[in-house]
Amino acid sequence: MSKPRVAIFDFACCEGCQLQIVNLEEEIIDLVGAVDVVEWREAMSEQSHEYDIAIVEGSITRPEDEHRLQIIRSRAKILIALGACATIGGVNKMKNNFDLNEVKRCVYGKDAEMPHLATTTTRALHEVVDVDFKIHGCPINGEEFKQVVRDLLLGKKPVIPTYPVCVECKAKENVCRYEYDEICLGPIIRAGCGAPCPSAGWRCFGCRGLVDNPNVDAAKEVMEKYNLTVDDLKQKMVLFNSK
Amino acid sequence: MSVNTISKDRFKQFVEALIQSDQRVVGVQARGDRFVFDDLKAADALRLDYDVTILSPRKYVLPPKEPLLKFDGRASYESLQESEPMVLLGVHPYDMAAINQMDLLFSQDEYDNHYMCRRKKMTIIACDVATPSENVFAASMGTATVDSGYDMLLTDIGDAYVVEAATDNGKALMNLMPDARPASEADIEKRQAVWKKNEHDLNKHMLECKPSFLPKLLEKNYDHPVWEEKARLCYSCGSCNQVCPTCYCFDVQDEVNWDLKTGVRYRAWDGCLLQDFATVAGDHNFRKDRAARFRHRLYRKGKYVPGKIGGQIACVGCGRCITACTAKIANPVDVYNQLMERTDIG
Repeated sequence: MSKPRVAIFDFACCEGCQLQIVNLEEEIIDLVGAVDVVEWREAMSEQSHEYDIAIVEGSITRPEDEHRLQIIRSRAKILIALGACATIGGVNKMKNNFDLNEVKRCVYGKDAEMPHLATTTTRALHEVVDVDFKIHGCPINGEEFKQVVRDLLLGKKPVIPTYPVCVECKAKENVCRYEYDEICLGPIIRAGCGAPCPSAGWRCFGCRGLVDNPNVDAAKEVMEKYNLTVDDLKQKMVLFNSK
Repeated sequence: MSVNTISKDRFKQFVEALIQSDQRVVGVQARGDRFVFDDLKAADALRLDYDVTILSPRKYVLPPKEPLLKFDGRASYESLQESEPMVLLGVHPYDMAAINQMDLLFSQDEYDNHYMCRRKKMTIIACDVATPSENVFAASMGTATVDSGYDMLLTDIGDAYVVEAATDNGKALMNLMPDARPASEADIEKRQAVWKKNEHDLNKHMLECKPSFLPKLLEKNYDHPVWEEKARLCYSCGSCNQVCPTCYCFDVQDEVNWDLKTGVRYRAWDGCLLQDFATVAGDHNFRKDRAARFRHRLYRKGKYVPGKIGGQIACVGCGRCITACTAKIANPVDVYNQLMERTDIG
């Protein structure tokens, strides 16, 4: 069997998730031994229109990006969204909370009207095309990336956690932030990261997006138990989980 | 069984000697404003005055993630078993009761070699509770004290410990305590007083029935409104499962290497409150609703597991789930008492 051809693309993002792939260091050799990488702007100069698996980082913010993503989708058998910008829109979606013209003027100043800066509402990849698998996180977890790629090469459905961050946070023996009357997004955000933020004394920032079935109805009553409000919770959701 | 007394100063020397021995020593230590079981590097770090640890000693008896076997992609595989001798120092009676239950569960039906091998190389030094935690209800569950499972039992009687060596392992440990002397009658009485006090004090939530009544109580209440009332706020985060000393469910997965042939099969903690706990082939989930999962946990503790281990209730009253639950709905006593209130016991 010939090796599957893989192409890696990026849209609006910091390219940090691709960097996490580069950071696999010696295991990159294993990766390129198992697949045939035919395009990857961040790491090589070759390009190709023929590939089996497209790994796409970044969110969609311009009409031409939408068109390019549709072409990638039409060429790929499997499309994987890589990282928070691609899976949930991530920090790029914060701009959706404001007037777009104001955002443009604020960010680009006198160049705001340049044609290549004609940005629209930010969307995650699945809001534009069908996405087969999502590798969540800001940045992605390298271990999870490797496991997903190997599972796909075996024809196995990758195991992506459907449970919240609390599972991994409790396993690390962190004391729940709520016990100190502080907001944490852990109870509604997808695990798989190993809870590095609460383990370092922070809250969960929500970069892996909501679990499939978050209990949003519980928020009001539960927040009240800690003298917090739903608005407090919503404020913390803005960073990665704006609409 | 031999019962001795050792001063706290001399006991510290014993712990130091234990750490210097060739066994791995795990003991209770402070972390932030809480306590955890962790590798013990110095006798001074040991905190036998602790109230409760964040995770129970289950994390050593049944590790969160444990390799089971190596496979090579052909027909053969190699079973993997840990074999490191370990001393667990400072196990409270309720946690000891939980380990005793797990020993029964993993040795019946399919004898679990991975678990039992590890257990056989483990020496447990239990200790009676010196400081009750805010949510402990062990006295309601009959686990405020324990009389089996440990190799050695320590009881703090003020300036000294009463030390009971219950097994050959425990008696061998006594050799590291040359200064221990046979416990006097007065010391034994002091130990009795600690037990009596704990039977009273370790009861921050009081179960309004005998634990032995729980299977019958649950049998009558499968469709009780309390399941829905409580589960309405459930985040399905499994925190109650994670911190529970008697939860032993695990998920089995394979990790394959880059050659796509060799790899390791491992098991990892699972939790019956998690959304996909009961998802099987074809993506069928036979416990889709939060309320059904919430009910399942309390049925496991109060009816299903007791049915496998001679009626012992699989909740030992450590109270960890009460503290860990963000929505504050996990308290088993609260649920069981609500069932009691609204049930015609007849």
